[in-house]
Parts: sequence; C-alpha cells; structure tokens
Amino acid sequence: MKKNKLLLISGAFALLASVPAMAEDLVIGLATAQTGGLAPYDQPNLAGLQMKIDEINAAGGIAGKFPIKTIIKDTRSDSAQTALVAQELVDAGAQLIITPCDADPSIAAGMITQGAGIPAISFCATTPTLPLAVGDFMFSNYPADNVQAAMLAAHAIESGYKTAYILTSPDSAYTLKLPQYFGEAFTAKGGTVLGEGTFSMGQQDFSAEVTKIAAMDPKPDVIMTSAYEPDFPAFVRQLRGAGVMTPILGSDGIDSPTTFGLGDLVEGVVFSTAGHATAGSPLEAFNAKWTEKTGAAPDTIYIANGYDLGNIIEAAVTAADSVDPAAIRDGIANLENLQGVTGPITYKGTIGMPLRSVSLVRIKAGDRELVAQGQPDPADIPAP
Amino acid sequence: MTTSDEILLSIEGLTVSYGAVEAVRGIDLTVKRGEIVTLLGANGAGKSSTLNALVGLAPRKARRMLFDGTDLLALPPETIVRRGMTLVPEGRRVFSSLTVDENLMLGGAKHAARGNPAAVKTNMLELFPILAERLHQKAGSLSGGEQQMLAIARALMSSPDLLLLDEPSLGLAPQVVDRIFDLIGNLRDRGLTILLVEQNVVQSLEIADRGYVLANGRVELQGSAADLRASPEIQDAYLGA
Amino acid sequence: MSMDIFLQQLLNALSLGGTYALLALGLAVVFSIIGLINFAHGELMTVTGYAICFALIWGLPFPLAVIAGLVVAIAAALLMERIAFRPVRGASGTTLLLTSFAVSAILRVLFQNIISARPIPVSIPSSMSGVVTIGPLHLGMIQLISIVVTLVMLLGLNLFLHRTMAGRAMRAASEDFAVLRLMGIRANFVVATAFAISGLLAGVAGLLWVAQRGSVDPLMGALPVLKAFIAAIIGGLGSLSGAVAGGFLLGFIEVILQAYLPDSLLPYRDAFAILLVIAVLLFRPQGLLARKTLVKL
Repeated sequence: MKKNKLLLISGAFALLASVPAMAEDLVIGLATAQTGGLAPYDQPNLAGLQMKIDEINAAGGIAGKFPIKTIIKDTRSDSAQTALVAQELVDAGAQLIITPCDADPSIAAGMITQGAGIPAISFCATTPTLPLAVGDFMFSNYPADNVQAAMLAAHAIESGYKTAYILTSPDSAYTLKLPQYFGEAFTAKGGTVLGEGTFSMGQQDFSAEVTKIAAMDPKPDVIMTSAYEPDFPAFVRQLRGAGVMTPILGSDGIDSPTTFGLGDLVEGVVFSTAGHATAGSPLEAFNAKWTEKTGAAPDTIYIANGYDLGNIIEAAVTAADSVDPAAIRDGIANLENLQGVTGPITYKGTIGMPLRSVSLVRIKAGDRELVAQGQPDPADIPAP
Repeated sequence: MTTSDEILLSIEGLTVSYGAVEAVRGIDLTVKRGEIVTLLGANGAGKSSTLNALVGLAPRKARRMLFDGTDLLALPPETIVRRGMTLVPEGRRVFSSLTVDENLMLGGAKHAARGNPAAVKTNMLELFPILAERLHQKAGSLSGGEQQMLAIARALMSSPDLLLLDEPSLGLAPQVVDRIFDLIGNLRDRGLTILLVEQNVVQSLEIADRGYVLANGRVELQGSAADLRASPEIQDAYLGA
Repeated sequence: MSMDIFLQQLLNALSLGGTYALLALGLAVVFSIIGLINFAHGELMTVTGYAICFALIWGLPFPLAVIAGLVVAIAAALLMERIAFRPVRGASGTTLLLTSFAVSAILRVLFQNIISARPIPVSIPSSMSGVVTIGPLHLGMIQLISIVVTLVMLLGLNLFLHRTMAGRAMRAASEDFAVLRLMGIRANFVVATAFAISGLLAGVAGLLWVAQRGSVDPLMGALPVLKAFIAAIIGGLGSLSGAVAGGFLLGFIEVILQAYLPDSLLPYRDAFAILLVIAVLLFRPQGLLARKTLVKL
C-alpha cells in the first residue's frame, strides 16, 4: 500500500515533468522446493531463471519498462506446503507464479492461482494432464510425457524394433504414464508390447522383475522405462547382471551425471531430453555463457530450461505490454515459435503444455551422441 | 563374629523421590565393617528404595553418603560397584537368556581389566556347587532358589566389601529360605559386611547384629537385634505375640 | 525351467532379505539397549555414501574408500549418540522417537544445503557389475556380495555377542540394563558399543545400497529405514534374531509377490506385502521372536 502511494506521488511528479513512461514492477512469486525430493530439479531451474531475470533487470526490465521483482519461498517438496506458499504469494501481490517441477504440487498450487486469476507455470512438470486438471491459467515449461514418448516410439520403429517391454511404476504419473504413452505410440506404428513390469520407486530391488525378463520367450527387442535415480542405475545393473543385453530406451529423468558415471552398463542406452547442444546452437552459446559466469559447465539441461522460462515470461509480458495477470496469461497462451536456448517453444494451439523440441541422445563411451532432434508429428502424439 | 568399630557406610538425611512421591524421607543409617544390619518394615516402607538409592539406581538426595571414606552421591552405579558395594536386587533379576557362566563372568567384569575373573569364579563355584553343575545352562532355566544363589554369586564376583541383599528369601520354599540364611551367615563369617532387607523378620533378627525398622520412609525404631526382638512394636507387628 | 526360475527368485529373496536384515539389526541393536527407534539410521547410510564418494574423489582406491566409509559411519553413530541421544537417555519413548526424527530431518537439510540437493555419482568399480553363473542361476556381483557380506556380518556379530565381555554385556543390557550397571559395567560404554555396532551395520548396508544405485543423495536413507522398521517390527522389536528373521521374511515376501502376483495386481505389490506383514502380526502381535525386554536405566 505504501509503495502504491509512493508511486502515485512520483507519478504526479512524473506527470508534471511530462515524462510519458513510468517503471512498473512485475512481481513473480516462486513456490519452489529448496529442500526435499524436488529440490534437485527446482534448484537448477531456479538458477537458470535467475540468470535471465538478472539480465532483464540489468537492461531496465522487460521491454525496458517492467523490472522483475521476485519473492522466493520454499515448498519443502510437500504439496500441502506448496498450496500454502501459493496462497502467501497471491496475498503478497504476485502477478505470475512459478510452481515446482512436478504435477502434484503444481496442481495443489494451481487450485489457488486459478481461483485468483493469476497465471502459473510449472518449472518442468511433464504430465500432459496438468493444465487439464487445473484450468486455463496453468502452464508447464517442458516437453510433455506424450511428446517424449512419441519421439522415442518413432526412434524404436526406425531402429527396426518389433517388440517392446515396458517397465512402469505406479508411484508417479511420470514413471507410469510415459512408458504407457510409448506403448500406445509404438503399437500405433506397428510395434507390439510384449509385457509391462512394475517397480516401487526408491526400492532399488529389481531382481524378481529381472528374473522374469530374463525368462521371457520370445525376448523383447527393446525395453523402455522412465525409471530414474536411484531406480534406473539399479535396474540396469541388475538387468545386465542377469545377462540380459536387450537395448534400453529411457526418458529425460536419467539425463544426470550419475547415469553417465555408470560406464559400460549404460553403453548404447538412448533417452529423450529437453535439449542437446549441437555446434553453433543457441544451447551451446548459453552453456558457454553460463560457464563463463559461474566457472562451471552446466551439468543438467534444467538450467537452460529455467533460462527459457525467463524467455517465455519476457516474451509474454512484452506481447501483453502489461503486468496485468490476465494479460500475461493471454500472452503465454499465444506464444508461437519463440526461439529459446533449448529450441523453438509454442503454446498457441496447445492446452498449456508447450510444443517443444525433444532431443534423443545415445550414450556412447560415457558421452552424448545425438540421435534425433525436433518435434514429433502431432498426429503421432498419444492423447493425454 | 568379628565386628569392628570401623564405620563402613554412613548415611545422613537420605531422601528418595519418584516425581511427587517421596518413598524415603530423610533417614540416617550406619553399617560397621563385619556387621549384618537388617532393614525391616512393611511393604512400601522404603526399604528397597533405600538400597537402590545406595547403589545409585534410585534418584536420591542426602546430607552425607559415605562408603569407606568415599562420597557416593555423585557416583553412578557402575563406579559404586567398583568401589566395593553391590546389590543383589529384589526378584533376583538374573540375565535369563545368558548362561550361568556368562552371568558370573559379567559379575566379575571389574576384574576383567586387571586381575583374574576366572580365579574368582573358581572360588565361587566351590561356594555354590549347584552352579558348577548348571554352568552352561541358561540362567532362566534354573529354579527360583538356584537363581537366587546365582544372583548372590554374581554379586560376589565383584569381590565387594559390603553386600546389599534385597528380599533374598522372597517366593522361595521354606527349606530353600533356610539355606539362603545359612549362606548369609557363612558369608559374614568370611568377613563380608551385609545390609539385608527382609520381610522374614524372625530369621533376619536371628542372624543380624543390628536392625532398623522403617515406616512411611522414616526410621521408626533401631537398635541391636536382641533389643528389637524384645521390643513391643516388633512383637505386636511381626512376631504375633 | 520354472524350477530354475523359482530357485533364482529364492536367491533374489536371500540377497534382498540380507540387506533388510542388516538394516533391521542396526535398529534393533540400539532399541534393545535404550528403547530408541533411531529413524536417523538411514542418514548413517547416507553419511557412509558421502564418505565413500568423497574418498574416491580424493583419489583413494576403492577398498580404502570403503574402509573410510565404514569408519565415518561408526564415528557418526557415536557422535549422534553423544550429542543428540545421551541428553535424553531414559526419557519417554515418544521423546526418544521425536529426537531421532529431528536428527534425521536436520541431517537431511544439512546434506542438501552443504553438499548438494542433487545426487552425486559414485563410481563403483566395474568389477562390481559382473555376473556369476552357477548352473542355471545368474547372480549379479553385488547380489553375491550382499549375501556374503550379510552372512559374514551375522556370523561376526554372533561371535562378538557370545565370545566377548562387551558382547555379553550387550545381551545382558537388552534384558536388564539397571542390573548390568550393578556388574560394574559402564552404561555409557554399553550404549556407545551399541551405537558403534549400529553404525557399522548402517555403513555396510549403505555401501551395498550405494553400490546398486551408483549415487548418493541427501534423502536416500528414508526408504531403507522404513523397510528396516517394518522388518524389525515383524521380528519383534528389541530381539536381534527377530530382526534378522524379519528382514529375511520381508525380502522373501517382496520378491515372491513381485515374481508370482498376476500382472494386473502387480501395481499393488507393496499393499499386499504390508497386508502379509499385518497378517503375521495378527498371529504374533509381539513379532516373530519377541522377547520380554526391560528397558529402564
């Protein structure tokens, strides 16, 4: 309130001095996990976003007139706490809210922000049903599960795989649905899913499941899973330990230093990810800039992903030419072919989940080898 | 019976409280070297609490608590035991899943660093031949009388100067009770000083040199065993005269 | 063929159950002495993981890094006892439990804020990813190591408990701590020994856990301590042999359900496992090998 009065007074002086424009802050509320299970994803995203925000403010704000103010609060990776934090941010006057890198807390926060008419963007939730569950003020900032699955299925068919085995965990939407989307897309293109195994997240014991896979007759041509740490390394170790050498497809959750530290175990594994720095690409330039600024090369795509969230906000507010929440929402929803550092980003025509470039990467001698990059044919993407 | 005048244990103003409940309310007590002193009194009079307080197992306060010249008040049970005073607790409390041998060896833990627990054990098995027979049985498989023997033998393994015995005859058959009292006399003859808590007033006063009668946490009566036996209070309350 | 598969699954159950047994034993050793369920036991595993990780980064060869990890685990357990649990020793079970939750939560936040919220890779030597083939049976190297290490630890602990004065004192303390002190044995010594053993068990379990996953993260202790808790409850809290039996039974239940539940029910495997645990407790409310324990000082 005090600040508003101050603005009014300075506004009055500004009028007297007949200066046309007046700085107006964009207040972004960040409900992010600084502790708990989501911290590993939220923190690098936040670091990337912070870099973009610093750049924007150094240039006098978005479009030179909307400096960004942030309010950052810890959700402790807890959904109830995320809702509470979202309410606090709304009360504090946030015009845009960023939610954690997972559908569940984002839905919890979305229930608050949707009602308040404030747009919310999840750092990197991949569940395509997230905006459907919340409403038209909810967005995410990552290639959706079904988009990744379509890319992987297309690759499987191109590689000549006829049969597949999928390994899911009912413990999260990501580990359950992504392989199932893969199964749908693979079947639609003429492949056959021979079976679906399950695991409990965090359990690290795949011995019973691996024994079943080893005994399969006929054996599948490929195994697809969205298991990530610590499950994926344990699964691969135990699978190869049982003498099963079937190729493995994974998704972006395994794009981590641990995977690349597994050596021979993961040789040849192909996985989908949100970005791959080819020579001369914007991502390569971003990585160089980041390295120069922090002294260390980015070890995860989530940093660039967070930076791209900054690009999205900048573009949406510029298009809206306003910090009015409803106008920002419309700005995001109408973004088309925005050139981010990870590739082109489009919200127009989607339901809150952006159409973004997906890269398929093969692990070769502990390094990355690009297999494919781009967006799948929209007709091949399984319905959410 | 070689009672000297040397005071081994001297307590002034001992109180024991469990939360708001005062079990012992300021008692004075002395034990001289070579004596058998008995603490008598009804259930809940504060006898067991007194013994537990002496070895540091009950929360205690006192103006003075000296054993053989050492102030006991600041010491934990394990140190008090190592200084030469130990307790055979009520209900025997042998380590029932351990063998007789292991119970005895633990009793002699004090000698483990220097000295020879095995030699002390050999002595003990001469004193308690029944334990030699049962050496490798689980203590829980012994009869009540045998467990009491083991509890006493285990306490003696620490070669104490003063032995506190809490209701050693509780729940035992009459012949066994007699054997326990014979043993207590025998131990005193070997030079051990004993503070005995008993409900068996007749046999206690027969064997003891002196006694204290507690009621509601206070000393109600004290004197030589002979005087106590003759006192009208004891006659009325316990001896049914 | 299906007999081979059954044997293979039994071997799998043995390996998983062994890890659970080590974990449950770590909880039971401390519980049997001071009545504390140490939920920070999982963080001892995490500490071990970080110690191995940093020792490797520092350039120590793997066997030395493992020894460093175990030493750090024991030291951390002793420190935990000295700093957090000794001041509340003898307090009510609830106080002890809450203290252990607090220790666990504080350590997790410290790991996240001081080390990293994200998993740090641990390079496990490739010799630990091999396969051993025994007739028709395949055994991953880490599975084999878990089985062998579990047996060695159980045997070693058994010898320690029965052949040494400190071991006898621990068994006696689990029956009657107060009387043990009347033997002239220092309470602090016995409690510290229990924590040291629990730290060693957590260290070994942590090593096996980290070897499977190839990384350490601040929250990795949460799930194992839960499994350990369930196993210890099945076995009868406070009973060491019960903890071992409970660990193997839990491993067996999980593997057999995973192997033989129909596909449509597989997503509910954990629910079935817990149901079986409840069934065991309905028949034996005190646990498999419960023993009356006196927990007082």
